[in-house]
Amino acid sequence: MPDHWGFVAAAYGLALVVFGGYWRWLGQKERELAALKRSDPPSRTSPLRSEPASRPTRP
Amino acid sequence: MAWKDLVVERRSKETLNSLLFFSLALLFVFQFTLGPDRERLAAVLPGVLWLGFILSSVLGLGRTFMVERDNDCWEALLLAPGDKSAVYVGKLVACLALMLVVEATVLALFTVFFNVDLGPALPGLALVIVLGTLGIAAVGALFAAMTSQVRARELLFPVLLLPVLVPVLLGAVKATEALLLGESLASVAHWWQLLVAADVVYIVVGLLTFDVILEG
Amino acid sequence: MVRVLGWFAVVAVVAGLAMGFGVAPREATQGNVQRIMYLHVPAVWVAYLAFIVGFVASIAYLARRRNGADHLAHAACEVGTLFLGVNIATGAIWGKPTWGTWWTWDARLTSVAVVFVMFLAYLLLRQAVEDPERSARYAAVLGIVAALNIPLVHFSVYWWRTLHQPPSLLKPGSSSMPGSILTALLVNFAALALLGAYFVARRTRVLADEAEAIA
Repeated sequence: MPDHWGFVAAAYGLALVVFGGYWRWLGQKERELAALKRSDPPSRTSPLRSEPASRPTRP
Repeated sequence: MAWKDLVVERRSKETLNSLLFFSLALLFVFQFTLGPDRERLAAVLPGVLWLGFILSSVLGLGRTFMVERDNDCWEALLLAPGDKSAVYVGKLVACLALMLVVEATVLALFTVFFNVDLGPALPGLALVIVLGTLGIAAVGALFAAMTSQVRARELLFPVLLLPVLVPVLLGAVKATEALLLGESLASVAHWWQLLVAADVVYIVVGLLTFDVILEG
Repeated sequence: MVRVLGWFAVVAVVAGLAMGFGVAPREATQGNVQRIMYLHVPAVWVAYLAFIVGFVASIAYLARRRNGADHLAHAACEVGTLFLGVNIATGAIWGKPTWGTWWTWDARLTSVAVVFVMFLAYLLLRQAVEDPERSARYAAVLGIVAALNIPLVHFSVYWWRTLHQPPSLLKPGSSSMPGSILTALLVNFAALALLGAYFVARRTRVLADEAEAIA
């Protein structure tokens, strides 16, 4: 049976594109968040949350 | 919770009528698309039947929390004291009852319009229909509560419901198919046992997690 | 720590590729197109592993309401869906030259397609619910239902029809595969598992940072 290297390349190429794309998307998110943090340094007026329950609510 | 049950059922009279008309319309569409070919009809009847059931369910279940939402009763539901899982049971039973009424009517209409004889298969068929509908209602009640608070609820509800219900649909259709061909209930034991297993899983999860949905 | 995981993943992936293309022999009946299996099969194992992690994390979130569990559940289900998508696509690419068709409704393919759509719906739910706390709760419930549904889907579809390769690894008794192919599969599984773990870890961190930024 013929080897169909084209299909093998297509399969691995697809994986490369998908995983690479996800990797890049994660990097993009991290850069956005870092930029956000730099331009708007959070001011902690209350001590760090000690209880694991709900998220802090806006006053 | 029986009170809640009855109230919901009385309010769903409008739903019942719409669902019956919808099923009737579906029936006519099936007839027009399938034509007079008797054999082809017999072959697709189980699938078509359950397709009708599931489409009616998506419509009917999708609305089940709309009454509370529209009348601002949602907050009242959240604040009501007592075990929220009782609300789940109430909704489940009400939805089940509604769907069984619609399905029985559709089944009767099918036998009339397509001249199908259900006689000997009826008890087995009834069991399969009840088990299948129970599964649909169990997941549907949970997901309907979830999506009632979401903006894109009409779209999200079927998107969540249908993939999850694939095992129930498969089991119900295959069991119905066999029963309509005259086979015994015992020969489709693995299918209705799957339905029972699925129903148990869904109802238990529903009972355990409904309060979580009703937290807000 | 995430970065270390990443480097381990890179090393493992390189090893996996070496095994898959260098060490493993040309398969007797299918030819070299079988080498797609070194990507396709481990991908679904990693995906299901990820969904199990999501399942446990969802339960953990509902039990203790720690946001970390919610972020982990979200990341795990997302990465699982990603790997499952790769599995489906590579399966189709393999199927075309081997079976002559991109798709067929056999047991394995249908089950995986249903599970894929279920978890796509999970991601859609996440997007549709804006309030983060409500999103966490609802998604946890769906994550639990979806994960519990996986065996139900597989049983129902398997009984419905069986055309796929008979499962060779989970058969009781000795494996029917030559040793080097099995080894290559396992090495590639380790590679993809490390890659998956790296993605989950990084995605969890991003979600945690996002939650902090909103708060």
